[in-house]
Amino acid sequence: MIDLRFYEIWREQIFVEKLINGIGTSILLMILGGIIGFIFGLALATARGSKIRFLRIPSATFIESVRNTPLIVQLFFVCFGLPMIFEYRWPFFASALLALCLNFSAYYAEIIRAGFDNVEYGQSEAARALGLGKNDILAYIVLPQALAKVYPSLVSQFVFLFLTTGIISEVGVEDLTWAGRYIADRNFRDFEVFIVLTIAYALLSVMFRGVLTATGQLVFPWYREK
Amino acid sequence: MIEFLSTLIGPFHAKMLAVLLSATQWTVYLSLTAFIGGGLIGLIFTLLRITPINWIRKFAVAYIWTFQSVPLLMLLFLTGLGIPIFYQVNVPPWMAATVSLTLFTSAYMSEVWRGALQSIDVGQWEAGRALGLGFVKNLRYVISPQALKIATPPTVGFMVQVIKGTSLAYIIDFNDLMRWGKKIGNSQIDGAEPFIVFPLVALIYFLLCFPLTLLSRRLEQSLNIDSNKLMLTINKGG
Amino acid sequence: METCINLNDLNKWFGSFQVLDSINLSISTAEKVVICGPSGSGKSTLIRCVNALEPFQSGSVNVCGISVEKNGRNATDIQRRVGMVFQQFNLFPHLSVLKNCTLAPCRVLGLSDDEAGAKAMHYLERVRIPEQASKYPADLSGGQQQRVAIARALTMEPELMLFDEPTSALDPEVVTEVLDTMVDLAETGMTMICVTHEMGFAKQVADRVVFMDEGKIIEIATPEKFFSEPTHERTQFFLSRVLG
Repeated sequence: MIDLRFYEIWREQIFVEKLINGIGTSILLMILGGIIGFIFGLALATARGSKIRFLRIPSATFIESVRNTPLIVQLFFVCFGLPMIFEYRWPFFASALLALCLNFSAYYAEIIRAGFDNVEYGQSEAARALGLGKNDILAYIVLPQALAKVYPSLVSQFVFLFLTTGIISEVGVEDLTWAGRYIADRNFRDFEVFIVLTIAYALLSVMFRGVLTATGQLVFPWYREK
Repeated sequence: MIEFLSTLIGPFHAKMLAVLLSATQWTVYLSLTAFIGGGLIGLIFTLLRITPINWIRKFAVAYIWTFQSVPLLMLLFLTGLGIPIFYQVNVPPWMAATVSLTLFTSAYMSEVWRGALQSIDVGQWEAGRALGLGFVKNLRYVISPQALKIATPPTVGFMVQVIKGTSLAYIIDFNDLMRWGKKIGNSQIDGAEPFIVFPLVALIYFLLCFPLTLLSRRLEQSLNIDSNKLMLTINKGG
Repeated sequence: METCINLNDLNKWFGSFQVLDSINLSISTAEKVVICGPSGSGKSTLIRCVNALEPFQSGSVNVCGISVEKNGRNATDIQRRVGMVFQQFNLFPHLSVLKNCTLAPCRVLGLSDDEAGAKAMHYLERVRIPEQASKYPADLSGGQQQRVAIARALTMEPELMLFDEPTSALDPEVVTEVLDTMVDLAETGMTMICVTHEMGFAKQVADRVVFMDEGKIIEIATPEKFFSEPTHERTQFFLSRVLG
């Protein structure tokens, strides 16, 4: 009764090409989204913890808006709504990337801010006692320690976000999910296709976690878990 | 209600809002079902995860790992498209959506709860044992009450993830808020442009989610819980 | 003798709780003062006010010829001239021992990496720990960490050094190595204020001992007088507890 035909997935060369392309696109989106989102998130976290209301309130509003609405709605808004308002036409890849970056940044900001709050008070105090200025203390003392503390959380968040990004296939970005749907629409082996995709996503997330954890050990060699 | 809205925002937008709100109820039903169902299954796997019996524990770990590593979207595709086509059965979208979200929720919930249990100091287990309590009684009277307190805020917080997760169910034709939002947004009708409809849909999701976010944060403060510590415990395990 | 620190009718509150109550204290250059007293007596707060780490509500604090503003606006001017060693070391865990010592000279004094590095090595040798320069603080023992903290403060070439219970967090067997370093430092003529319960150190090094309780200075005396014939009842009680 069980008649699994996985070979139907690589039956045609175009299927294989689309799959490989899709994996590449998914990885590229995650790298770009991860890096840009991290930089945005850092700025947001700093603004969120600022004493200046003009910075604090907009950044808090943005973070809460993103964290309390689904990615798919944000995606449709950025890809279909914004172009109408601003009358621009970006390729969907760019719009989708923008949506991902904005989405990631809000989650990262919240984690990074928790990191700031968790750096021991004695650290900035010792830095002050050495005569270091506010900006130096933030850049050289608080920030590196905050990032090291929350790095595992950032990695987990990254992997979690990766698992939500398949939805960008909805706006025509040819990622891994898109490739799967492309194939399933043509060979009608939806079950096998999505099993393969599921495994691919699981493997990719293991890979991301491994690479990022190793990176963390390189970047924060001094860090000891308490 | 609709008459009142009509005078306020015009009959067209009043109708649109009414359609979206009526679709929202399905979002709410799906969220609640997944949350309760996922919570129960998650509870079972949390307990299996900490039993002293090795192979049961490994099974639980595998289950949690699997459904945490599988994208929700893939679960929806598999249950909503893959299985019906493969087995030539009819799976209604609501059933596929419920099953997918329940599995998704159960894995994350048991991970959160395991984190809560693990964050309890080993000394508490030992103290319980020293008093002559067996594993079950120790868990029941000493550990659980403490873990429950720690687990409550992130559990409420995860409800937000579930609600946001339900928005993917439109992809297998589940008639929820997202599906109707997309329909209206694609309708090319004046006054229902994407930059009006999607912010409106976002607002409705926000109104569902944000109170829970606030509640979770409030609980965290009043119970005086360091959620960062729990986050780190969870991430180490994952 | 030249005055290094002058505290005049200094008062400080945490909310409605008065931590410092009309403190008057003048310390000359090269003088060594040990402050002792029961916990919660305000001795740590006192030296933190000297370093402009804490704001205060009334009175005046004059350090190295600079008047510390109450709200701490000119705090960095003071802090670059005053070195401080903390109970918990507070070394920067993400920087190597050497970088711990060069960060402030580079960023605050504008030294080049080489200049700062040479100076850091000089002071690390002085605390007898140069071979650990490339390690991270977490790889060092508590005593070594505290000696690095002393070297770190010295690389700023401060005009005076503050010690806030520098040996309280140490294992008993390494207390001596830190105290020896402090004695060495004292012999170079550094102005020092030490909050400590190490009465042996006080006897050996201090020019004056200050006893504080409940935010007030109860007694100031030379160590000989302080230990042999304390005038105040609370001092006698405290000494009987500390000396056993």
